[in-house]
Amino acid sequence: MPGMASPNSSPGRSAPHAPSPRSPSWDVPRFVWHLLLWSTLAFAGWCVWIDFEVRRDFEALQWALPARIYSRPVELYAGAHISQQHLVDYLQRLGYRRSAQVAGPGEYQQGEERVRLRTRGFQFWDGVEPPVYAELDFDGRHVHSLQGEGASELALLRLEPVEIEQVNPTTGEDRLPVALNEVPPELVNAVIAIEDQRFYTHHGIDPIGIARAMWANIRAGGIVQGGSTLTQQLIKNLYLDREQTLRRKAEEALMAIALELHFSKEEILTAYMNEIFLGQDGNRAIHGFALAAQHYFGRPLNELKVDELALLAGIGRGASYYNPLRYPERAVERRNVVLTRMHERGDITDDTFARGQKAELQVREKTGSRSGYPAFMELVYDNLSRDYDSDALRTEGLRIFTTLDLTMQNSVEAKLDGAVKAVERANAKSPLETAVVITDANTGEVRALAGGRQRGYSGFNRALHAVRPIGSLVKPAVYLAALESPDYSLATVLSDREIGIPQPKGETWRPQNYDREVNGDVYLFDALERSLNLATVDLGLKVGVPTVVEALQRLGYNGDALPYPSLLLGAVDMTPVEVAQIYQTLASSGFRSPLRAVEAVTTATGEPLAYYGIETTQVADPAAVFLLEHAMQGVFERGTARGALNTLGDRMPLAGKTGTTNDLRDSWFAGYGNDLVGVVWLGHDDNTDTGLTGATGALRVWATLMKELDITPRQITQPAEIQWEQVPARPVADAGRRDCNEAMSLPFHDARLPSVDYTCEVNESFFDRVLDRFRSLGQ
Amino acid sequence: MKQPRKHPMKSPVQSPVQRSMNCLQLATVLLGCAVLTACTTTYVPPVEPAPPVMAEPTPEPAPQPAPVVVNPAPQLPPPVATPTPEPVAPAATPTSTLLASVQSAVAAGDLDRGAALSERALRISPRDANLWYQLALIRYRQQRFGEAGDTARRALSMAGSDAVLQRQINTLLQQIGSGAP
Repeated sequence: MPGMASPNSSPGRSAPHAPSPRSPSWDVPRFVWHLLLWSTLAFAGWCVWIDFEVRRDFEALQWALPARIYSRPVELYAGAHISQQHLVDYLQRLGYRRSAQVAGPGEYQQGEERVRLRTRGFQFWDGVEPPVYAELDFDGRHVHSLQGEGASELALLRLEPVEIEQVNPTTGEDRLPVALNEVPPELVNAVIAIEDQRFYTHHGIDPIGIARAMWANIRAGGIVQGGSTLTQQLIKNLYLDREQTLRRKAEEALMAIALELHFSKEEILTAYMNEIFLGQDGNRAIHGFALAAQHYFGRPLNELKVDELALLAGIGRGASYYNPLRYPERAVERRNVVLTRMHERGDITDDTFARGQKAELQVREKTGSRSGYPAFMELVYDNLSRDYDSDALRTEGLRIFTTLDLTMQNSVEAKLDGAVKAVERANAKSPLETAVVITDANTGEVRALAGGRQRGYSGFNRALHAVRPIGSLVKPAVYLAALESPDYSLATVLSDREIGIPQPKGETWRPQNYDREVNGDVYLFDALERSLNLATVDLGLKVGVPTVVEALQRLGYNGDALPYPSLLLGAVDMTPVEVAQIYQTLASSGFRSPLRAVEAVTTATGEPLAYYGIETTQVADPAAVFLLEHAMQGVFERGTARGALNTLGDRMPLAGKTGTTNDLRDSWFAGYGNDLVGVVWLGHDDNTDTGLTGATGALRVWATLMKELDITPRQITQPAEIQWEQVPARPVADAGRRDCNEAMSLPFHDARLPSVDYTCEVNESFFDRVLDRFRSLGQ
Repeated sequence: MKQPRKHPMKSPVQSPVQRSMNCLQLATVLLGCAVLTACTTTYVPPVEPAPPVMAEPTPEPAPQPAPVVVNPAPQLPPPVATPTPEPVAPAATPTSTLLASVQSAVAAGDLDRGAALSERALRISPRDANLWYQLALIRYRQQRFGEAGDTARRALSMAGSDAVLQRQINTLLQQIGSGAP
């Protein structure tokens, strides 16, 4: 029968579709049909899988956001302790722009002793600070007056804090997520003009664009144009596989179509705005335009001008190639291409176009510490680790508000290396190193920290980890323990004479004064002021070393020093931060506040999560601390810190203590004013001798820093139990031999007044006494 | 405002007393006596003036379990729903502005925020005994009695000669002492 093809037909029968003699034994059409069927099914399966993948991944698109760490915000009010220059430096760190009109947020103007500014506002952990216009007049290192808009009253203004660091996710990406309505429309126009002109009309891929690109590439003989849409670029950015194989491109095209099927243009555009890779900053990748605005221009996205937005839009094509910080000419050229396209599309007027093309590139200045504040940050992480694990810090976008005072930290860093160099010995084998801790005298907040003498040093953090014997810094604990007992007063006569103390192993400890001299009978206050070792041992042994250890612990020492007599002269090891804790308690008149680096933590949207408030515990008798303070101030006036008077003489009274260890291996100074406590340590990492005492080394560095920080004099309230009495200037053990021709006033606890035999009241006549009163009141 | 520099600790070494004086000096001295007999018999160095009390606190009614938070000064408007009321009182200081916000927060029951704002004020004026007292009151209301007591004692150490404030702080300390678990 005709018409039926059969592989087994006899050669005699002719059929119109007989297979050719060379064909194999199967049927091509069926093979083709099967091939088509299965490949279509496979393709369809692949599409379904892609569709599912895209929907799942895109819907769950939650970027891991780094924790952001902020400095302490500057507070402005009449009398605030900040100079005009420091305020301007701070505003520049915030990316404020100079402008004559000060019309928009983030602008300021500087005149003679005057600053006008408009703040951006900020959401703090304790409330929202609204954006505000303010005018400030300065008077040296203080704000003289503060006024609001139209000379209205403004009592207090809190500036935004500076973001000093981020804790980046393991992806290394960083971004400031924005909603589409937070993106300036000019930026949207710019992006569409340069990347994907038919964004709103295509469905994921743009055939016209592809055709145009192919034509351009053929004409040019190479790849000069890509035809990918924003959607395709978004896919490319989201899925990190950057291999541009044909299969990959096809996959991306399908994914783009799938994305457009399930998500709106707005959603896709928003994702693009936040996802596009726009630069690298050290170990963090800059994604999204909002962060790029901060990174390149130092200002928020909504403060940028059209030409700056156009520049950002152009970077997306090649972040390294068009990096405006490194290749400004390329960046400007690219910006002008974007502006041209925008102009062609009618997005900007002729005037804007002309001005934009001529606009000068004004990128962010490399202000502040590019290396960050690693020593302080270690303390921050240490504080945080109690409550937050590193995962939460890397992904949740937490905001961490610290106590770091940027102005103080920068001042310390600016002066420290030079100050150390000034006291360093010329022929030292290893460099003289240092640690500095500056805290608020009243609240225990850490204001500045240096782990070494170099700015931004990120090696061994000596402030937190250098454990050294503290030498004479221990003495205030000895004297406080004594003054808290009823048996001692500032006028107690001590014996500064040679002494031998038998040790457990049979040898004898024979302490010496630093100058190897002995002073005989000395007053208790004088022994502390001049740091006399022998008198201190005399006192400490009578008070009892365990009592001294207990006082040290009350002051904030958490270690486990053993109560050997050598502890009285400082054979106890501490880090500079531990020393700062002890002197913090003294500066607060016997109220201990644990040192803190973190103030508060909020979520990414500003809800408070944790707040570390001021803690204060009374750990010492206020009258005893007042008496101790008299001697601690005397350290400057008459004692071992006299040498600082030529630097700091106009800021007395200050209080402090020098510390020197055996063979001059460590040079310490710990001191405080009304506002700040500072601890300085000098030494060599290899523990060789420095050739410096506390007075010739650390004190000088301390004085230089405190002058720069403008430390304020001590102002303390005298407790009710305190009474002042006159005693002979020179102590004598025998009352009959006292000489009241020279007398001095000392404070006493009124329950422990010196006996009349030892004061200088009794022998004077009534007139003499009255004249003394008259005279002393007038001084 | 620049603080006047004080020297509470200066201890002068006096030169020998002049024994010869003429009648004029004697008369001056006698006049001085009349003045000085009213003074104490001991040398008291100039002390820091009592810190200004920003808002007059009301006295503590005995049977109430929780102390009343300070009332606003007469010129200030009563706390309304706005989070930060405008300072209406003449010459509003940063402390008075913040205290007004503290009151609003406490009135709205947001004690944590009230405490945070008190601390903000304390960073500006750390020697203001009344601010420490306000913080102690908030801690008391939060039933953080240990901290309330500590903070109250800190306030007391700065209260100087402000007898009214001292009495209030002591009252609070007594309440903490009796009521704490």
